[in-house]
Amino acid sequence: MTRPFAPARFAPARAAGAFVPDLLLENVEVLAPDGRPILRVARLEAPAGTALGIRGPSGAGKSTLLHVVAGLLPVASGRVMWGDADLAAMTEPARDAFRRARLGLIFQDFLLFEELSAQQNAAIAAAWAPARDRAAIRARAEALLDRFGAPGDRDVASMSGGERQRVSAARALACDPAAILADEPTASLDRENADRLAGDLLAMAREAGRTLIAVSHDPALIASMDQVVQVVDGEVRG
Amino acid sequence: MIAALETAWLDASPAVQDALRLALLLVPALVTGALALRGQAPGPLVRALLLRFRWTNLLFAGLMALSVGLGVALIAQERAIREGSARAADPFDILVAAPGDEIGLMLSAVYLQPASAPLLGGDVLDRLQRDDRLTLIAPLAFGDSHAGAPVVGTTAAFLDRIGGPLAEGRVWEAAHEAVIGARSPLALGDEIAPAHGAGFSADPQAHDGAHLTVVGRMAPTGGPWDRAVVAPVEFVWAVHGLADGHAPGAERLGPPFDPDHFPGTPAFVISTRTLAGAYAARARHTDATSMAFFPGATLSRLHLLLGDLREAMSLMALAAQGLAAAGVLGGLVALTRLFARRFALLRALGAPRRFVLAVVWAYAATLMGAGAVLGLAVGAVGAEALAGLVSARTDLALSAGIGWAEAHLAAAVFSLTTVLALVPALAAYRRSPALDLRAG
Repeated sequence: MTRPFAPARFAPARAAGAFVPDLLLENVEVLAPDGRPILRVARLEAPAGTALGIRGPSGAGKSTLLHVVAGLLPVASGRVMWGDADLAAMTEPARDAFRRARLGLIFQDFLLFEELSAQQNAAIAAAWAPARDRAAIRARAEALLDRFGAPGDRDVASMSGGERQRVSAARALACDPAAILADEPTASLDRENADRLAGDLLAMAREAGRTLIAVSHDPALIASMDQVVQVVDGEVRG
Repeated sequence: MIAALETAWLDASPAVQDALRLALLLVPALVTGALALRGQAPGPLVRALLLRFRWTNLLFAGLMALSVGLGVALIAQERAIREGSARAADPFDILVAAPGDEIGLMLSAVYLQPASAPLLGGDVLDRLQRDDRLTLIAPLAFGDSHAGAPVVGTTAAFLDRIGGPLAEGRVWEAAHEAVIGARSPLALGDEIAPAHGAGFSADPQAHDGAHLTVVGRMAPTGGPWDRAVVAPVEFVWAVHGLADGHAPGAERLGPPFDPDHFPGTPAFVISTRTLAGAYAARARHTDATSMAFFPGATLSRLHLLLGDLREAMSLMALAAQGLAAAGVLGGLVALTRLFARRFALLRALGAPRRFVLAVVWAYAATLMGAGAVLGLAVGAVGAEALAGLVSARTDLALSAGIGWAEAHLAAAVFSLTTVLALVPALAAYRRSPALDLRAG
């Protein structure tokens, strides 16, 4: 089921079970600044609520694909559809707004602000959200930190890798996104923490019917996904 | 409408005008801030940036503070010198001297700077004493010194005019008695032997045998007279082997002096009851044998000259501030490149480009604002230190406090730099988040 994407639906708070769009990439080509093609996607579909794994050798274009899906990279041609919303046809501010409203991102090396507490990091979106939404974002961030077992009042500088990635996951979910995009989320973690995070992410996605797209070299994480695609030499293969 | 505004402006008190000027100077900063920060809450991230490179940030703010402080100290010091020198000249309504250099004579009479001047004779005294508009005719005989302090001969009436009631002791009753200035190191009862001349050319033996006994201490005047030794003018004439200004056997001190026995003086201080009388007296006593002038007016011309100097120094200070601001902004552009990956992260998390602009602008504006406020403090301390040095050299009591002019300067620098802070903010605004995320 797809429904039109309208700017009015960008509000960050999303009730459980609310609309999650399907993902469709079609005839997508991404060029490097020097004009060299770095990614081609003939067709890639991920129905709403799917856990999609992306694997492939280093430098193959996995992160580029994730950035295209997140609207961080413009494409030279093709369509990047989330429901009826085509990121390829959007301006950069519109892509920012879409990402803000619909997507939550997790990175391999956490990218947390060391000078802020876990709570401040998890609720960072409150800094640019409309004033009326800020309290809700902070409350949700706190609840997520509790659920992930990460202490909210501690500086992230004093946290272990596992704790940091849990803060990062809470930050990705604090705006209640329709989809979670994770770039090597377990790569910096030991096995125990990697398994715990993977379990938490899958549970959080499935509970709310969210789409989860994870780029990973981690066979355990990839094995737990509903659908897996491989990226080789800039080509996406099913 | 414009006429009404003009009238309201002219009717406003100076303090209100200054406050309005300050507000107007801050308008560019406030407008830029309102536009940059509208709808955003960058506070926690700005704090993070400030903490992350705290020493570099302190260096940037310190650089701004020094450049603003230089300008503030310069303006405050110039005003202090202007006010202090005007205050010191206040008791000198009109000076009468031999035609020539008004400024040189004013420096000698008011500020007791050593210089030789031609003497006015009994004919000028006679004319002055016949002018019934004058309420004070006081000869000033300067040129001698004691231990570096000027020894000045005058009348008790002028002593009262320049210092008011004595702080200690009494006025002289004999020719060999003297009154010292408020800051003189001498004490009541001390005996001194004045030297002929001042500075390196002073000759301590020239007035061999002559001595003065200190009998009183003046209240502070805020000028070079605070270090002086003031004696009856008859004493000064006597030690130079001249007549004492009175008919033989008169045995008196002070006016009226006898024109026939008047030995001469470099200058007279005269006063009148009315302003009109002062202008009339100036005209009356300016001819081929004497010139009468208002030291205040001469000082104003000197201040105009100093004003030009101040303009030049202010321009140099502004240039220094501009260079410091450019240096700091250049540093901030470089620093924000170090933060590029973090800003890219914010964009990846959904932050609009305007939020990144708000963070960088607020960060830069905080440093510049801190620099401007610190600059006022640095300027105040610097101005006080300079005032101390200038006071020690000139004996002028200077009070170099921070006033509206300094606040205006700091506000102007702050406003300008907050507008310029858009440069690093726009540089961060334009960066591609995907490229910067990969750069890690």
